Amino acid sequence: MSNLSLVITATAGCAAAIAGGSLPPKARVLAAVALTWVASAGALVGAVTVLHTGRPLVLSSSRILPLTGTTLVLEPLGAVFVVVTAVVAVAASLYWLGYASHGLSTRTASATLPVFVTSMLLVPASGSVATFLWLWEMMALSSLVLVLVDQREREEARSAAGWYAVMTHVGAAAILFALVMISAHAGGQTFAAIRAHAGHLPGAVRNVAFVLALVGFSSKAGAVPFHVWLPKAHPEAPSPVSALMSGAMVNLGIYGIVLVGDELLGGGPVWWWLTVLALGVVSALFGALQAATSTDLKRLLAYSTADNMGLVLIAVGASGLFASTGHPVIAAIALVSALLLVVNHAAFKGSLFLSAGSVQVATGTRDLDRLGGLMRSMPVTGAVFVVGGLAIAALPPLNGFVGEWLLFQSLLHGLPTSSTAVAVAVPVGVGALALTGGLTAAAFVKAIGVGFLGRPRSEGAATAHEVPHTMQFGAGLLAAACVVLGVGPTVVVPALDRAAVEVVPGAPAHSVLASADVRLSGLQGMLDPALLAAGLAVAIVAVLGFRRLAQCRFRPRLPVRSIEPWGCGRELQTARMQYTATSFAEPLQQVFDDVLRPDRDLNVSHLAESRYYTEKIAYRTSIGDVIEHDVYRPVIRGVHLWGHLGRGLQNGSVHRYLAYGLVALVVIMLVMV
Amino acid sequence: MSGPAYASSLELAAGVVLVCAVVTLWRRSLSAIVKALALQGFALGAVALILGAAQGNGVLIAVGCLVVLAKALAIPALLGRVVASDPNSRETAPIVNVPASLVAAGALTFLAYGATAPLVALVPTVAGRLVPLGFATLLIGFFVMAARRKAVSQIVGLLLVDNGIALVAFLATAGVPLLVELGASLDVLLAVVVLRVLAVRMTSAFGALDLDQLRELHD
Repeated sequence: MSNLSLVITATAGCAAAIAGGSLPPKARVLAAVALTWVASAGALVGAVTVLHTGRPLVLSSSRILPLTGTTLVLEPLGAVFVVVTAVVAVAASLYWLGYASHGLSTRTASATLPVFVTSMLLVPASGSVATFLWLWEMMALSSLVLVLVDQREREEARSAAGWYAVMTHVGAAAILFALVMISAHAGGQTFAAIRAHAGHLPGAVRNVAFVLALVGFSSKAGAVPFHVWLPKAHPEAPSPVSALMSGAMVNLGIYGIVLVGDELLGGGPVWWWLTVLALGVVSALFGALQAATSTDLKRLLAYSTADNMGLVLIAVGASGLFASTGHPVIAAIALVSALLLVVNHAAFKGSLFLSAGSVQVATGTRDLDRLGGLMRSMPVTGAVFVVGGLAIAALPPLNGFVGEWLLFQSLLHGLPTSSTAVAVAVPVGVGALALTGGLTAAAFVKAIGVGFLGRPRSEGAATAHEVPHTMQFGAGLLAAACVVLGVGPTVVVPALDRAAVEVVPGAPAHSVLASADVRLSGLQGMLDPALLAAGLAVAIVAVLGFRRLAQCRFRPRLPVRSIEPWGCGRELQTARMQYTATSFAEPLQQVFDDVLRPDRDLNVSHLAESRYYTEKIAYRTSIGDVIEHDVYRPVIRGVHLWGHLGRGLQNGSVHRYLAYGLVALVVIMLVMV
Repeated sequence: MSGPAYASSLELAAGVVLVCAVVTLWRRSLSAIVKALALQGFALGAVALILGAAQGNGVLIAVGCLVVLAKALAIPALLGRVVASDPNSRETAPIVNVPASLVAAGALTFLAYGATAPLVALVPTVAGRLVPLGFATLLIGFFVMAARRKAVSQIVGLLLVDNGIALVAFLATAGVPLLVELGASLDVLLAVVVLRVLAVRMTSAFGALDLDQLRELHD
């Protein structure tokens, strides 16, 4: 009976796509949004039921896909991801109502967005290899269309779409190989059949399949070095789509890794998880560093996604590591922290991308060096961005803090375990986590300080107006989720705990006890976020009150004088003299010069009369992606070269083509002999 | 038909098929090449008739008659008209010259014998021993297509490939079903008709039947 919710999701999603593709402009957006909500609500109800009861929803039909049939099985782990996707989808489609007038009201967009949402909702619910791959591909293709839907004439958008298409399809190919290989050796293509035979698979098959799956799913999750599409596609996509991609789609990469590594293959040797951990450390550091030095608002957020997925991968890797060294309790806690990080990331990154989209709509730019002072003209969007920024910087009492606290706890409690590999890997993870936290905070101090405070740096920023209410609500919904999750993580922790315990074999029923506070079972560790928030509020009130008191007591009230601050004796300061994003990041850029390798260009032109006087100094700096430059560019050059060589084979002579055929035939016959 | 007579007549007919293929490489005159093709068609039909008579298989005899009709009479007649329409109907400057072509034909025949050794071992009959001749004809046909310039030579090369396949089919299997042979023959006939039309068009467009003229279409 309850699997009705999956049917509702699928049918409402299809209906939304049809409505979006066929109705007149105004009605099509409304209908598509309403039906997308129905689909999300259906999935949400089903997933919450699964998380509550622990019983999976099963739905299978042999009619939809020929030969293999479709099998949908929603288990607690998948249900977590379905809930996250559904919430982000509701917020993003609400935002879309207001955003639609900026290019998203086309037929293509209205038909594709529901397809994207529905496929994302159903990917974690798929119960067989064929269903999974089919939905995965649908998700990849619809998101590719959506990247292009807004501004397909722009060269950057097309290039970004090209990168995304290649990366996502190379990833999909790797996943296809991995899953087909596993199911061929397990003798069945439903996940249940694979799970039953996982123990009997040959070691080599397991290893190759895991590595392939890791590559494929990391490319979706945006882990370094497979992240190159993230900073291109996320900024170019329309903002609701970026929010969906960053808040919901990349999570499914994480889901895939846990699915294949823990669920289908039932855990593996230590080196698997050390690889995941290393991937996470590199992604977290590289993403945070690039985010801290980036001046494009959405590019900054995209890199920060790579950074957050890195943190999740650290948690997933640590969980696998503890499970394979025989510490199921800590493993379960680490997995709960991974899931909590995913939930949190969806909330704050969704709200950040949506409010960044509002900024782009209001000012016409996303270059931080041309923004400023938006807090006054766009108070709601600014407040949402500040909440998201504080949450992502892991400051209490917001949600980012709870997730990272749990991750630190699991890593620190894992330290005394015996294995050498763990003893080396875990401190590295802790160090990376600490550095990442600092860099992320710097990145968002920059984004908030330069973008929303100070004075406007361009005409667009000066004349900005607050965006329509639906856009404010959409972004605000996710910001509210940040606050709720921060003050009361106990709402979701039991559900995450249930999902994690199902995945980690041998874990106790409640690894993380959550009533009013969060308590780790069998370990020293306890956090009461509500108390923390209350304490923080009291402290802030106390500080403010004390200041007021001190002013009243010790100083006579002076008449208020208004002067330009930091003037250094100079009057008539312009907005261009403010601290910019580039100058804020400059010290970091200096320190990490070897990793970032910025392109600097300094042009000094002198007056014709004398070389001692300069007429103009032009300084240009840009930071590319080292990995794109050093790893991907050579590969692309190689492919180009190969293509040019291939051209030489074709000269238009029919005889030559016939000769190729003859030579091929002769060679085959020679080989056969 | 009795043992030795059957064996030697079958060997003769199959041998003529290969020799005709080599003749198409050797002769420059297009009309001579088309005649060699006609002779090959007769030999191929003879192979089918001899096999049919030896096995008492009426269908195979019918197939043999069909082969003679299509490959020895109809197709050469069609090609003959193309050759007649072209005044300078000689393969004046082939891509690979005649002596080298003959050496290549020898090498291809060797290859055919080498590559079909397992197949011959599988069918230890007189007919099975002759299977390499069919493969050799096929390879030589391919070579003709790659090494000759005239459009008619190309068509002949294609027909040699088809004849080689047909010969292998007759010799290695117990006989091709009538329906399949009928289909294949009609396909080839249709292809020749289409190619003939193309060849006539080429003559009117370029004034010659040189396939290299088609390179102009490149770029």
